[in-house]
Amino acid sequence: MASSPANHEGFHKFFESWLTEQNQHLQELISASRNNQHTDDSDQILCPLVERVVSHYHNYYHAKSLSTRDNILSMLTPPWRSLLEDAFLWVGGWRPSVAFHLLYSKSGLQFESGLADLIRGLSTGDLGDMSHEQLCRVDELQRKTIREEREMTENMARIQETVADSKMVELSEAATEEGGGGDDLGERVESALKHKEEGLAEMLLKADDLRLRTLKGVLDILTPMQCVHFLIAAAELHLRLHKWGKNKDEQQHHV
Amino acid sequence: MAGICCGVVGESKTQAAIEPSSRPARRRRVDVRHLKFVAGVSVPTPEKSRKRQKLEVYDKTASEAARECENALENCKVQEDESVELKGGVSVQVEQDQLVQECPKFGMTSVRGRRRDMEDAVSIHPSFWGQDAQNCTGLHYYGVYDGHGCSHVAMKCKDRMHEIAKEEIERCGQSWEQVMERSFSRMDKEVVEWCNGQWSSNCRCELRTPQCDAVGSTAVVAIVTPEKVVVSNCGDSRAVLCRNGVAIPLSSDHKPDRPDELLRIQAAGGRVIYWDVPRVLGVLAMSRAIGDNYLKPYVISEPEVTTWDRSPEDECLILASDGLWDVVSNDTACGVARMCLNAQAPPSPPVSPETGAGIGAGGESSDKACLDASMLLTKLALARDSADNVSVVVVDLRNK
Repeated sequence: MASSPANHEGFHKFFESWLTEQNQHLQELISASRNNQHTDDSDQILCPLVERVVSHYHNYYHAKSLSTRDNILSMLTPPWRSLLEDAFLWVGGWRPSVAFHLLYSKSGLQFESGLADLIRGLSTGDLGDMSHEQLCRVDELQRKTIREEREMTENMARIQETVADSKMVELSEAATEEGGGGDDLGERVESALKHKEEGLAEMLLKADDLRLRTLKGVLDILTPMQCVHFLIAAAELHLRLHKWGKNKDEQQHHV
Repeated sequence: MAGICCGVVGESKTQAAIEPSSRPARRRRVDVRHLKFVAGVSVPTPEKSRKRQKLEVYDKTASEAARECENALENCKVQEDESVELKGGVSVQVEQDQLVQECPKFGMTSVRGRRRDMEDAVSIHPSFWGQDAQNCTGLHYYGVYDGHGCSHVAMKCKDRMHEIAKEEIERCGQSWEQVMERSFSRMDKEVVEWCNGQWSSNCRCELRTPQCDAVGSTAVVAIVTPEKVVVSNCGDSRAVLCRNGVAIPLSSDHKPDRPDELLRIQAAGGRVIYWDVPRVLGVLAMSRAIGDNYLKPYVISEPEVTTWDRSPEDECLILASDGLWDVVSNDTACGVARMCLNAQAPPSPPVSPETGAGIGAGGESSDKACLDASMLLTKLALARDSADNVSVVVVDLRNK
């Protein structure tokens, strides 16, 4: 298990080893999904695995929160992410409502391939086999998540708008007059920015909390086998998007 | 909120006795159409279900209703021969020695799917008319409303349309066409008036004119009687009947490029402009709707009403928003629904302790079949990347 980084410089390193571990978990999840399809005691095998993967996510957000307090700016625009990943970021991470699209997409693929059985009333046990009640709970969770996501987007807007508040404009004007500014101005700028950074850090922590809650909320609705399938889809998309983005960045670099 | 509702109602243990219509009273002043039905058991309408509410509540309500159906059946006493004539010419006959229960099973699934906002609303009222006469279960109401601009018009339709229809049936009891046309017209007026009078709301549109004027909803309503299915449609939601394996559309979508609709719009001075798809004035991609005050008189709220005789070959009725119909054909939908209804396999075991909220409705697997059908159709739409809210109602029309 990657140890928590002592400071923000360490987070990049932490992230890299976390990805390696996620890849290992992915292999375990895939083999578990193949080996436990028709066994009665599959839950006993799958539950601990799911718990382990969830605590791995916990570990990630815990480490991230420590670094956020140290250096919010690099956590909001993480240099270890590719430009492609950057383009899809929401408050320094994945958009919580994406979890439902991931679920519907993966569920849709499994549904189409198991359609013949499902129509006959046979169980396939995967995400294509979500019950009516599960579908309703997912919909309800989606509603709540989107509402929170919107509230946070609004709060983020409020914080970002303070970039042009009186204090900032006054300080930027003073910088012109003083021709670069003395120590005193530098301190005042630091103090003004510190306040805003604190606001941003708080936003990122809240956003990460919503991300983790959404992930766990979805898993709470699913059966252990369905959890395994969902975690596979989540890890695959995360790892592949990172890889594709890095490849693109490299190509761009060589041009 | 425009949450999700689901439910099953069932328990049709005895066959509905459908008598040939008796002679309508000659003294009726106007062209009175008799909405005649026979009934012996009262089935309480899940009254709560007309309110916006969470799934748990609706579920409970639906299964409670089903249980009460069953209880009512057990407690049923032989009725005196009695003929009740209601104001306006709708006659109700209560039959002696008949254990009659006409409470078609249904299943409903409604999800926001890949849309961030939920603008669909579904309203289901078994025995929505007839219960006043103590022992009647005559008319069943199923409506799907797909809002645009905001959800409030669709929600209003969900709350009010069946009540208005009920009033209109009792008030005039005229032909179904007149009853439904008046109902839709009143619904439209209520929406416009309500919109102009309300200023505090949680709506996305915040009910500000002119934004509020740009809000509307489709409405497809099916009223099922022991003898007929009456479908009234306004917009691009759709009702499809599955009869002996064949899909029969009971409504025709109101798209601006439908030749007769195009002519009507142009005759009213409007234009249909292509913007991705044909749109009235380049704005609305349907030619009829409840609400949408700013597009009148080009967009009208007048429904097309069709009346269909029920046949022993009828299998089920599917009502759905375009979230389904955009990606699933009528034939496919019917195929999936009838396979679900005919599924011989035992219902799969619940996958979680809470699963199968609808199963309590009488405990028969066939009750679950409608729910399964509506759910499978919804999942099929989602699997096919439907970008819209998806709402599906499946009503079992088989006589057992």
